[in-house]
Amino acid sequence: MYKKFFSGLIALIVLSMLVVACAPQTTATPEATQPPAAETAAPQVTEEPTMPATEQPTEAPQEPIKIGFFSPTTGFAAADGTSALQSAQLAVKIINENGGVLGRQLELVFYDDAAKPDQASAIARKLIEQDKVVAAVSGSYSGATRAAAPIFQEAGIPMLSAYAIHPDITKTGNMIYRIGTLANVEGRVGAELVGKVMNLKKVAILTVDNDFGISLTDGFKQHAAELGLEIVLEEKYPLGETEFRPIIGKIKSSGAEVVYATGYYNEAANLVTQMKDEGLNIPIIGQEGYDSPKFIELAGPAAEGVIITTDLNRDSDRPMTRTFLEQYKATYGEDADMVGASAFDAVMVLAYAIKTAGSTDPMAIVNAIANLKDFEDVATGPFWNFTADREVVRPVSSQIVKDGAFHLYHEFDDIKLVTP
Amino acid sequence: MDFAQNLSNAIILGCTYLLMAAGLTMVYGVLKVLHIAHASVYTIGAFVGVLVYSWVGNFWLSLLIAMIFSGVFGILIYRFSYYYLLDVPRTVPLIASIGLFVMLTDLLQKPFLMGPYQRAFPAGGAGLPRIDTPWFSITSKQLLIFSVTIVLMVLVYLLLTRTRIGLGWQAASLDREMAAAVGINLNRIIALNFFIGSALAGAAGVLVGIYNNSVFATMGDLPSYKAFIIIVLGGMGSLPGAILASLLLAIVENFLVASIGYVLPRDSIAFLVLILMLMFRPHGLLGQE
Repeated sequence: MYKKFFSGLIALIVLSMLVVACAPQTTATPEATQPPAAETAAPQVTEEPTMPATEQPTEAPQEPIKIGFFSPTTGFAAADGTSALQSAQLAVKIINENGGVLGRQLELVFYDDAAKPDQASAIARKLIEQDKVVAAVSGSYSGATRAAAPIFQEAGIPMLSAYAIHPDITKTGNMIYRIGTLANVEGRVGAELVGKVMNLKKVAILTVDNDFGISLTDGFKQHAAELGLEIVLEEKYPLGETEFRPIIGKIKSSGAEVVYATGYYNEAANLVTQMKDEGLNIPIIGQEGYDSPKFIELAGPAAEGVIITTDLNRDSDRPMTRTFLEQYKATYGEDADMVGASAFDAVMVLAYAIKTAGSTDPMAIVNAIANLKDFEDVATGPFWNFTADREVVRPVSSQIVKDGAFHLYHEFDDIKLVTP
Repeated sequence: MDFAQNLSNAIILGCTYLLMAAGLTMVYGVLKVLHIAHASVYTIGAFVGVLVYSWVGNFWLSLLIAMIFSGVFGILIYRFSYYYLLDVPRTVPLIASIGLFVMLTDLLQKPFLMGPYQRAFPAGGAGLPRIDTPWFSITSKQLLIFSVTIVLMVLVYLLLTRTRIGLGWQAASLDREMAAAVGINLNRIIALNFFIGSALAGAAGVLVGIYNNSVFATMGDLPSYKAFIIIVLGGMGSLPGAILASLLLAIVENFLVASIGYVLPRDSIAFLVLILMLMFRPHGLLGQE
């Protein structure tokens, strides 16, 4: 039957599309001429472009050092995953242009995990067994990173979580480190900002209902109690919410002087726009979830005056911060965000650790990270040190939106406040 | 004051649901196909709208072009998929439709189309004023959504009740074979049906894009199932039912959140109402038993 045949055919096409959509992708190390994300069902690693002969004339060509990397470049988290991937590729490019590591080139082996835990664990196995990476960086969300961490731990391969904030990630074991500031530290800094820097007392808290939002709010409330702040309203909202108007009505009648709202830039853009629409003009405190040029683009004039706590200080004159911000813009034509900066830093820390260890031995790499002190070659630094729980200690910045850009508002470098 | 403000906000939210659901229920009415890929048309409408707006800077022109593009795209979806699936069990086009939706979303997310990032749609209120009363305020964006929705629905109503082809549409949605037997040109009716339904979805995409000032490849995920719930609530294939259900759902959502907060995600309220509806009134609010 003609029509039956056709329907079968279409069902088959649809099915194959689904399979292709879910298959991992591999890109080689960055090269401006190369098309992004060559899509093949069977991933393959392209060779590192050869260095100009003048730079290392005497050395015989050596195998590149492989670093595994996974982030979501498809699905709901594609924006963050793409920023993270591009930044990691930029870090590899900068390292290789400066002679590589141990006289060898770095190579990033990338797979798309779509922010899904099951895909992340499959990717972790593939990176370890098939690609034989010496270390890995997760540029993905907490769920996927938590799924991958035990696999790296078991195989004895170091893994750095770039910006995933769930506390359990680093608790997996001694091979797993984190580059981003823990959410409850950032929450504490938020409370310090409200109580000490802005001298406000009555707070309304809006929490995005996932581990990110809840950990932030926990940290905030803990320190708010110490500072004697009064929490006049607390609401949770689901991820992806676009309609905040009913909640804004409640904030209005609660008498709050300031809103502490956790979330990501898309929810935040709607929240601040709708607050202005409804005539609620009190300060809004966000955090690193807002830290994207997209927040300012989407919220427009309503973004003005919003203050966030974040790791990336865009007004910093530290050389590596400037290098990252300028080269990212020059390479990709977009402004960099915090997620990207964290992925960039994760690769920089790994490169430093391999260099310091003098080998690609996993334990030597991990020891080098553990002993890292006052590390300056990162975009969000300086990294003072890592704690025994493998969490980074470094200053936390707060930024205010002024004239359509993030600018420094206050830097928090009180060691007691920012140590997890 | 809170009550009036919440109600006016809810009605605007309902308008965005309504445009989406109206198109979907029209397609179901004639073809009896659950057209999940309708949400792709919504995303494409928003994308075309934001592109045209960035070139010409005129909201009305970008709305018009987005609607025409979406309408034609809807016809193409029909001609290259459902057309071959009219005489097979109804689950087949449903599965094809889900597949199409997933495929189109992934395709749209490719860097040469929309890419992974959200785009701003800074059309504002297209020059409409903001209305402030002692009881509630309507922003210019809200006024824009409200007036465009009303105008479009009146046009659709006139088309379906006052023209020959509209009467043909009504006949076809009652009984497709019978309508064909009495000499109604089914192909024309179905094409028109897809054109109008998809153009409405495109308009919904543009308006929501402006309302939230963001357009992105996965923006259709939520409307894909919410519009489906709305047409079940309203009675499958019933246009007035879809309108009523859209407004009711938006009002219930807003008032629940405003009174008791997010005890459960706002978008799951729709499912709760759906389950209750299927238990007690399976043919929907205005559907025929």
